Amino acid sequence: MSDAAATLTHDRQRLELSALSAPAVVFTVAMIAFPVIYTVWLGFQSFSSTGKQSYVGLANYARLVSDHEFWHGLWVTIALYVLSLALQLVLGVWLALVLFHAKRLPGIVRSLFISPFMMPPVVAGMMWLVILDPSLGAANYILQSLGLPPSEWLASPTWVIPTVALIDTWQWTPYVALIVLGGLQSLPPSVYEAAQIDGASPFKTFQRITLPLLLPTIVTAAILRSVDLLRFFDIIYITTQGGPGNASNTLNIYGFRVGFEFFNIGYASALMLTLTAIVFGAVLACNRLRGAVAW
Amino acid sequence: MMDAPTTDRWIRRLNLLQLVLAGIIIMTPTVWMVLSSLKPSFEVTAYPPTLVFTPTLDNYVELTKTTPFLSYALNSLIVTIGSTALGLLFGIPAAFTVSWTRISWPAILTLAARMAPGTLFLLPWYVMFRQIGMIGSYTALILSHAVITLPIVIWVLLPSFDGIPRSVFEAAQVDGCSVTRILWRIALPLVASGIAVSAILAFVFSWNYFLFALVLSNGDSKTLIAAAFNFIGEGSTQWGALMAAATLIALPPLVLAALVQRWLVSGLTLGAVKG
Repeated sequence: MSDAAATLTHDRQRLELSALSAPAVVFTVAMIAFPVIYTVWLGFQSFSSTGKQSYVGLANYARLVSDHEFWHGLWVTIALYVLSLALQLVLGVWLALVLFHAKRLPGIVRSLFISPFMMPPVVAGMMWLVILDPSLGAANYILQSLGLPPSEWLASPTWVIPTVALIDTWQWTPYVALIVLGGLQSLPPSVYEAAQIDGASPFKTFQRITLPLLLPTIVTAAILRSVDLLRFFDIIYITTQGGPGNASNTLNIYGFRVGFEFFNIGYASALMLTLTAIVFGAVLACNRLRGAVAW
Repeated sequence: MMDAPTTDRWIRRLNLLQLVLAGIIIMTPTVWMVLSSLKPSFEVTAYPPTLVFTPTLDNYVELTKTTPFLSYALNSLIVTIGSTALGLLFGIPAAFTVSWTRISWPAILTLAARMAPGTLFLLPWYVMFRQIGMIGSYTALILSHAVITLPIVIWVLLPSFDGIPRSVFEAAQVDGCSVTRILWRIALPLVASGIAVSAILAFVFSWNYFLFALVLSNGDSKTLIAAAFNFIGEGSTQWGALMAAATLIALPPLVLAALVQRWLVSGLTLGAVKG
């Protein structure tokens, strides 16, 4: 083949590769990149009730700093995030260890374990709404049969965040467990054998050997959960819409309501860009952490 | 002191006990939902709750009679299948190109989009789609849900394409095969199972997605998930019908997930964990 012919095939190849990725690239630019840039622009605008828009500079961001609802939403978001993540990581590691020692898992058991996080969060919200009903729900019946006082659950401003965290933990702990299980299965068996020969107790083995080796996988699970937890929406919107009062008004719920219930698109854009920055900040921080615990 | 085999057996039993306990906690709410959907209407709200009852399909009949459940279901199917098809159509060649060229920014951009809160896109989409009169159209819903399906397809397929030895492609190139032909004739059959998994995952997550349809659909194009809110609103004592709706909405993703449970974890973590 002559040089000219080789260049021709090479050019042709590049053209073909560009053509193959073009639909996805065009779609990504049109539906993701451009809208995000548009949101940045919207964040500098104000829309009056008649739909007239005007440039207001950083006014939306200045409003954000002095908006009690924003700081409250940030607090709710972080409280829900920390509580849910802690519960899911601890229970997920426990469940992964149980699954790991069970050796062989029939497909049907695995299907049952993945069923919570494969069902729509909206359905999870609907079913827990019925179970946790303060007057007729099964949860309070169980509490009372055990001699415990009934709870208002989602209807209580004090308990709504822990309750939502519990629902999300029910739904996503098996997911964390499956990720951690993957990490456990990839650990070299030789380290356990060495520990056994040294006469280490199962607890010591876990604390000194398994847990440190597992940390990178646990941080990976934490990243994947952080992304979902910081933008918590579905379950809250279905069960409480941010209530009672504003007790479960996360930033995502607040931003949504500002945008689509009060139609303050400019301020909602500023809120959503702030939340996005928080999500990406958390992901980057976790990624740093993963680098630190890698082995 | 117990001898080693006995201790071993006890540890195993203790482990099995924990496994059963976890299984019960995981399954009980779902079982309760299905049971409630099969209870006669006067028994759903009985207190104390009953466990023994004559099962009936009345709630399901009631649901289809008093709500446009079936047309919502049809809307959900159209949007889900449409967005899954679009995700595959755009995602398969994109994943192949990323794997071939090692130019990964398109893949990373779609992943970043998957991490951002949905409302971030929904605000500009709403303004844009309203301007061109597309609110409530299937096109707007399918396009928005493709933002969910595209990264799933790309990130599930990337490792599959990466797994094909380069020599296979090089041999085909020497034989004069074009890139498109290599993708179509050689690579696609080799990643068929990956495509099946990505299609099912894309379907499940598109079906389950709530936020976009909440704003972009209208009375005629409302999806089941977006309509779930209406079922709750229509009287808090209609628990039987509510649980029947919940059961039916959860059924398609659960059945599909059960089919691919073995390959699911690596797909769900979008390549973050090699499963």
